[in-house]
Amino acid sequence: MQVKSEIAGSVWKIVAETGADMAADDVIVILESMKMEIPVIAPKAGKLMQLHIAEGDMIAEGQLIATLE
Amino acid sequence: MNWDSEIDEIKQRRKLAKQQGGKDAIKAHHEKGRLTIRERIDALLDKNSFDEIGEGAGVPDYNDKGKLSDFQPANFILGFGRLDGRKVIVGGEDFTVRGGSPNPAGLRKSVYTERLALQYKLPLIRLHEGGGGSVGGTNKEKDRRPLGDPVFSESRFVPLAETLSAVPVASAALGPVAGLPAARLVASHFTVMTQNAAVLIAGPQVVKRALGHDMTKEELGGPQVHLASGAIDNLAEDEDDALGQIRRFLSFLPDNAWSYSEKLTSQDKADRCEDMLADIVPTNRRQPFQMRKIIDAVVDRQDSGSSFFEMSRKYGPSLITGLARLDGESVGVIGNDCMYYAGAMTAAAAQKLRRFVDFCNSFHLPIVSFVDEPGFMIGPDSEKAGTIRHGTAAISAVLQSRVPWASVQVLKAFGVAAQAHFGPDGYVLSWPSAASGALPVEGGVAVAFAREIAAAEDPAARQKELEDMLAASQSPFPRAEGLSVHEIIDPRETRPKLISWLRLAVAAMQTATPGPYLTGMRP
Repeated sequence: MQVKSEIAGSVWKIVAETGADMAADDVIVILESMKMEIPVIAPKAGKLMQLHIAEGDMIAEGQLIATLE
Repeated sequence: MNWDSEIDEIKQRRKLAKQQGGKDAIKAHHEKGRLTIRERIDALLDKNSFDEIGEGAGVPDYNDKGKLSDFQPANFILGFGRLDGRKVIVGGEDFTVRGGSPNPAGLRKSVYTERLALQYKLPLIRLHEGGGGSVGGTNKEKDRRPLGDPVFSESRFVPLAETLSAVPVASAALGPVAGLPAARLVASHFTVMTQNAAVLIAGPQVVKRALGHDMTKEELGGPQVHLASGAIDNLAEDEDDALGQIRRFLSFLPDNAWSYSEKLTSQDKADRCEDMLADIVPTNRRQPFQMRKIIDAVVDRQDSGSSFFEMSRKYGPSLITGLARLDGESVGVIGNDCMYYAGAMTAAAAQKLRRFVDFCNSFHLPIVSFVDEPGFMIGPDSEKAGTIRHGTAAISAVLQSRVPWASVQVLKAFGVAAQAHFGPDGYVLSWPSAASGALPVEGGVAVAFAREIAAAEDPAARQKELEDMLAASQSPFPRAEGLSVHEIIDPRETRPKLISWLRLAVAAMQTATPGPYLTGMRP
């Protein structure tokens, strides 16, 4: 399952580690957008297989953030 | 002599009309997981309440003896019915006959749908699945007729345009919907589509020929496209869910623009105060909160949970719009969602707001606005989208509004866009977390005091000092002192305060005779 960003901004903080078991609504990363900290959450439970971004990266709307299994 | 053979023929014609596109076409349709239009109408309406119009419209076939042998029914089914006890008009294409692409009788019935809604001033529901016209037309030998409509006839789009000012219109896309049916679909106050529906101006083959794009109809006009484009308001899991959403939408509305919504007996206490409201807004302004939780805590609770019915969530998502019950009254609800660009007004959010405010005015629904507006969205994409014009048009719609309006200032109200949340003669409540001004302090200070900050011994410390000083001036307390807001309230008091206001406001509104809402030019 692909998790995409619904907003543009930058990666402020990576919260979850690759390989972690995520529950639905767990925070994966926090983006900074319009001076606010916006969490990107797991839409469903699953294992965090891959993070496609690094802290400080600029993110476009619709960009792939993480892959869950 | 008697009329027995003619009466028999009536029976035979009715039977043939119910055959729709024939057994094979219906079977193929069911295999796609879809209901036929007659099944859909039965599923929507109260049991046995469908009262069909024009069942006999269609094209007959005769045998050598001049006796009726077959009959192709109009591929648009139309009639009156009851929905939760209320009289409505319902119509939709029959996909099993010519893929819903109108045959002559079908076209006439589809146009007549809007006229009937206008004539009897009843809510209109359309269940769409069908294509538009074809270059082959309908001019086959057996249904040949003069080409085009007479020059003196009224355009078939006139009633389509007029219904929106007169009666509530709710439509569903339940399969592929293209051309004229797609135009009908969006000429609605509420549109819903199923997962496997597609809404298209023209289909894949036409697009490929003209533009070279090789795309499926789902890629061209599936839910992912049209929930974001704003052409469709809501997604439905399946047909049953789509019909349920239409039923729910109409439950908030009056029969027409000449009447008010019915007040329900609220099962929820008017003085209910939710403790979670006291600290739902973080004191750290960088951290977001869930505006929907605030809305759900304030509006009436029903058996199934919150009475809030959200519309157009995926379009202009920095703004939340929907209908709810408050003290049993139907109200329109607006809120900023800071999870999207801090709740800033984008071009899409502005168009969504304008349409929603006009809709509430058309059916005399008071508006409750939960405000956390940082301003118009900034940056190159926002400038290219013409946000300033769309935003100013939204503000004009708000300020021309004639319905009762209450604003709860939850957090931010900044810039020109803040005005889009405060209607004329509105009731204004402020939470202690509220902050108002021309610009949020965080952005404004760095620009307005650039020289002073640069010249300071410790620029960062000076900027922080200035920000703290100005943040204090954006506090709601001085505004309450100057009667710029009606009250600063404990957030827990929001529901009882709004209900006290709503009782006065609705009583005052209903001293006037309601009618259609017409406005002039906007930016």
